[in-house]
Amino acid sequence: VTPSLEATFREEWPRAVAILTRVLGDIGLAEDVVQDAFTKAIERWPRDGVPRSPGAWIVATARNGAIDRIRRERTFARKAELLARLDDVQADEDADVSTIPDERLALLFTCCHPALGVEARIALTLREVAGLATHEIARAFLVTDATMAQRLVRAKRRVRDTGIPFRVPPDEVLPDRVPDVLRVLYLVFNEGYAASGGERLVRADLCAEAIRLAKLVCVLMPDEPEAFGLLALLLLQDSRRDARVGRDGELVLLGDQDRALWDTHAIDEGLRVLQRAKALGRPGPYQLQAAIAAGHAEGADPAAIAAVYDALVTIDPSPVVRLNRAVAIAFAGDIPRALELVDGLSELGGYSYFHAARADLLRRLGRDAEAAGAYREALARTDNLLEQRFLERRLREVEAGVRESGAAPAHGRRPPPRSRP
Amino acid sequence: MKYALLVYGDQSAWAELDEPEAARLREESMPRWLALFEEMGKADPAVEGRELAAAVDAKVVRVVDGERVVTDGPFAETKEQIGGLFVTTLPDLDEAIRIAALVPAAERGSLEIRPIVER
Repeated sequence: VTPSLEATFREEWPRAVAILTRVLGDIGLAEDVVQDAFTKAIERWPRDGVPRSPGAWIVATARNGAIDRIRRERTFARKAELLARLDDVQADEDADVSTIPDERLALLFTCCHPALGVEARIALTLREVAGLATHEIARAFLVTDATMAQRLVRAKRRVRDTGIPFRVPPDEVLPDRVPDVLRVLYLVFNEGYAASGGERLVRADLCAEAIRLAKLVCVLMPDEPEAFGLLALLLLQDSRRDARVGRDGELVLLGDQDRALWDTHAIDEGLRVLQRAKALGRPGPYQLQAAIAAGHAEGADPAAIAAVYDALVTIDPSPVVRLNRAVAIAFAGDIPRALELVDGLSELGGYSYFHAARADLLRRLGRDAEAAGAYREALARTDNLLEQRFLERRLREVEAGVRESGAAPAHGRRPPPRSRP
Repeated sequence: MKYALLVYGDQSAWAELDEPEAARLREESMPRWLALFEEMGKADPAVEGRELAAAVDAKVVRVVDGERVVTDGPFAETKEQIGGLFVTTLPDLDEAIRIAALVPAAERGSLEIRPIVER
């Protein structure tokens, strides 16, 4: 499959799966017939040429495949109903794709339904909406193909057996459900950006997928400021991707990053998208996080960034946001206050980043022995090799500091450097 | 889709109330039950609902090595026991969740939504 053909497939996959899901009422069956249509395309397009309207060709071929299948497999009562519904689907292979109803948004809401587990939502969204192959999703999440295939089968079965609706939620529940969708995209991005396992710190393919999906959501929900807020956030975070990993593959924190490695194109795009979000006049947590990321990108005053965090905790007082706010306060210079706030977040004790942040504050206060303990706690809670390497390096530094100040537990501030004899 | 909505609640808490108090609480929640029945009837005119007698009156039957063993219920030693159920056909899970949240008992106990398998 040539790259351009692959790109076409990715584009056309969710449109076709969405239409067939609505008509057949079964996302698993829809995927099967669309998959068959793509298999036919791989055989025929290189030989006969790419059709004038690839999307319409796929939908029409999947529709015909579904008709064949239903004639063979279904009992009479359901058969007549399904065949009648398939009759209404675009059968013209050359039709303009814009004449085919766009039901990708309904598909996205189905895949991100809260009745599914978070892992199932992510897998299903990447499979059905992003059009990734099962083995690609498996590789991204470091599980075997069989495990991922099983996860997808269970998710599709649950959609069918519990009656998860295929539709854009009605207005009265839409505000509750949009965050579910955005959260799935953010989790996909985060899995790519701060990979929880494996050798690479960043899995760029997942980041790119999340951004592509966020752009699709913005196209499908042009009045939803948080969709633009999320897209801006992802673009701005992604702009620092290359600077986050040093020459030897080690993690580089924001303050130490080489700004020349930041992707200015992504920053510009992120800032533009954020303006678009703000213009809609309804702030939300993603927009505020994007504003924070924009502040970092533009080299804003750390106190101003900490102030945006103050606004963010009032609408999202989750422990992770409170932790990040504490880190921002440290950046702005008030390390004791930051440590006080971090120490109040013991519910994050299972989270490597909590211990790493705490260790960093203790280190900067010269409390090396306590910092060493916190680095060890952080190390015990991450499987990412690059994060481990970073934490080990910091741990060695503070351990050296402990030895320097004598074996007694360090307290107060770091002793002044001794002059060499 | 056909769903069973199972109503769970703490029946011992009811049993501990004296009769006038229990009657007062029942009276108090009645308008909301009536509103629920109206809403359910609109969503599915063929909806069926049943209230179950107290779980302490249940009998549990098992067959162990071919022998019939009958014990006093309830089956599980949990505080929340099933106290009633509805069987209703609704368009989708979102609608089932909306209806379940209207059941007054959802505030003191919980509602379990179980899709009914249709072959």
